[in-house]
Amino acid sequence: MALFVMTEYRGQDQINVAVNSFFRSNPLVLAGYLLAVKSWTWLLLPAVLMAVATLLLGRFFCGWICPLGTLLDLMRFKKKSTTAFRLPLGNFKFWLLTALLTASFFNINLVGLLDPIAILLRALTFFFYPLLGLGVREGWVELYHLIGEKRDSLAPAYGLLRDHLLPFRNTIYPLALFSTLILSGIVFLERVETRAWCRHLCPLGTLLGWLGMFSPFRRVPAELCADCGQCRELCPSLFEQEAPAVGECFRCLSCERGCPDSRVSFRPVLQLKNAGPLIPERRVLLGGIATGLLLVVPARFRFPESETRLLRPPGVRDENEFLKKCVRCGECMKVCLKNALYPATWQSGIEGFYTPVVIPRLGYCEYNCTLCGQVCPTAAIPDLSVENKQCEVLGKAVFDKNHCLPFAKKIDCIVCEEHCPIPDKAIRSREVMMTGPDGAERIVKEPYVVEDICNGCGICENVCPLETKAGIQVFAVRNRTPIVRSTARKLLPDKSEYPEYDTR
Amino acid sequence: MDRRTFIKSAGVATALAPVLIRQAFAAKEPSLLAVAEGVDYPAITRKAINAIGGMKRFVKAGDVVVVKPNMGWDRSVEQAANTHPLVVRAIVEECLSAGAKKVKVFDYTCNDARRCYVNSGIESALKGMKRVECKQIEPERFKKVPLNGQFLKEWELYDEALLANVFINVPIAKHHGLSKLTLGLKNIMGIMGGNRGFIHRNLDTALADVNSYVRSHLTVIDATRILTAHGPQGGSLADVKRLDKVIASADIVAADAFATTLFGMKPPDIPATLSAYRRGLGEMNLDRIRIVRV
Repeated sequence: MALFVMTEYRGQDQINVAVNSFFRSNPLVLAGYLLAVKSWTWLLLPAVLMAVATLLLGRFFCGWICPLGTLLDLMRFKKKSTTAFRLPLGNFKFWLLTALLTASFFNINLVGLLDPIAILLRALTFFFYPLLGLGVREGWVELYHLIGEKRDSLAPAYGLLRDHLLPFRNTIYPLALFSTLILSGIVFLERVETRAWCRHLCPLGTLLGWLGMFSPFRRVPAELCADCGQCRELCPSLFEQEAPAVGECFRCLSCERGCPDSRVSFRPVLQLKNAGPLIPERRVLLGGIATGLLLVVPARFRFPESETRLLRPPGVRDENEFLKKCVRCGECMKVCLKNALYPATWQSGIEGFYTPVVIPRLGYCEYNCTLCGQVCPTAAIPDLSVENKQCEVLGKAVFDKNHCLPFAKKIDCIVCEEHCPIPDKAIRSREVMMTGPDGAERIVKEPYVVEDICNGCGICENVCPLETKAGIQVFAVRNRTPIVRSTARKLLPDKSEYPEYDTR
Repeated sequence: MDRRTFIKSAGVATALAPVLIRQAFAAKEPSLLAVAEGVDYPAITRKAINAIGGMKRFVKAGDVVVVKPNMGWDRSVEQAANTHPLVVRAIVEECLSAGAKKVKVFDYTCNDARRCYVNSGIESALKGMKRVECKQIEPERFKKVPLNGQFLKEWELYDEALLANVFINVPIAKHHGLSKLTLGLKNIMGIMGGNRGFIHRNLDTALADVNSYVRSHLTVIDATRILTAHGPQGGSLADVKRLDKVIASADIVAADAFATTLFGMKPPDIPATLSAYRRGLGEMNLDRIRIVRV
């Protein structure tokens, strides 16, 4: 949770720790990435280590690390709801995992949609965190309306909260309700059955459980003792099952701690007995593969017109490669300095659900900012230097002459030129003699785009003073070759004249 | 004299009165302006202020002072898009030693406020100073006020600027695509809320409207380095020219008029200066301004 709050710009150009460590050490993300991208990245090395650790220690992640699991443990209001009702899901989770991984192999990497950490993070980012910000901030604003200037006496307390906890600005995200419903659904399942999500659905848990079957670190004795059965009460996972399987054990050690006679212990066992079948059931596996294959076709469909405004974060040059790498975790959207990034709904088809899209009218890509690349766990958004990021093309700006004031109304404006961050100005203007609507001739500054050096950051569209629809808009382009920085022009001195204010 | 001639002459007199009074006034006390030059920026800032009567002329003990620099852009000090932090700090220190109760420094930034406050160097320059506040804008504090101007009838202005006893305008002199130059008169946009881009359609009139409502008691123009092209953001060092000058005047139009000459232009070339002069906000004729060089 602390990591979540730290994934925000607080005046520093670099973010040191972020929630992305959870994704980088996530074997499910690793599996999806490897299958889809079919190449290696060192960013996911922690995930390999986690997989190895799971092979040795079993499914300890679920009992000790998983933030969603922790949340579920905290949310368990009442005592265990007995075993009266069980979700009749059987091997459904294996089917789900196989389907996801098969789809990944066929270039539709959807593992992030069902990854437990991504589910949690999305609900937090899109709903709970804005809710907190909104609540506190609205309260603060109302206080101003009530007591005006006197509010300043409380400002230090609020300042502390604002600087260290609250989101910088209130952003409303699409899919906020949907994301929350999914999380609430998982929490609700907890009422039906302890850790129901973890045991019957979670694809990460399934993968870890499968790896954990090979673990020599086992519970001894493996079965319930005939005279006691206390373990059944304590165990969140293993003994809820009809047939206890080693893969289900979270290694949470609750039974060891709770055993009245200290009979239970966890220690290395060298035999691979009792591990259960290695592959669940052939029809489940085949069914999963078939489903994955079937998923590939409808997930790919896109309406071409929705692609015209499908602007990706800076540094994403190839849409297909991006979709393969993106975990849909929402970290970039959370960290985005100007809140330019929003989860895609239908713009990029089912396969693009939850992927980040720039909506310039709501927020533009800040010229000197590189935060999204820094937090992206899989480098779907590459981590670039400021200089390189400034040259990356999101799209190209185009004037709409029916709306843009100098063209449509023959009056001066050029707010877009003023804000264009390119040192040589990708938006320029020329003085043109025009006939106004009143018939009088006048000189008006007419703006134009220099396409070669436009990086599509969207600040022009963002600041356009027209109401609702902007007179200039950024459109997606397929060719995202970086713009050329003119070498003749020096942007910053090698050594700052004023080192005390140098924040480079 | 019959009634008709009386009414005629009275009408003429009424029409001419403001101009005559202004000229009489101007003749009595010409606008005073100081230009200080040197590489020690805090020192030249103080010299310029002292040459026009010192900060005590503007700030009385117990006053709340707003110092409004230009820090609207996410650019470094060298790139000359924001007021120099040393100039701002020197002014703030002068205010404090003149007895100010509180000095507030802020700007309604164009780029992300966090980045602008940090990278302009102004936030860190003021860090740790007592009775000094360098807060980001809080949107709820904009108040709709009746400007009753020629273009703007009403607009949202920042309450801290409205409530302050003294308003000190501290722009950096730089190029601007639409208004040619952005100086003191344009720097007032930093206290304006709402859809600011809207006023671009009649910028010089709008600026005169706002400047007649919120008067700058003191204008200090930072010309330690100026941005000669691709303003107001710049970004390239090729567009930056080092002048090592600071201009101070109680007359905002005079300050702007003089700063214009640093770019090789004449004061009436800048529509905002011309409109403000016509509105009686100050003097733009250089021969009617007493210029002290220190």
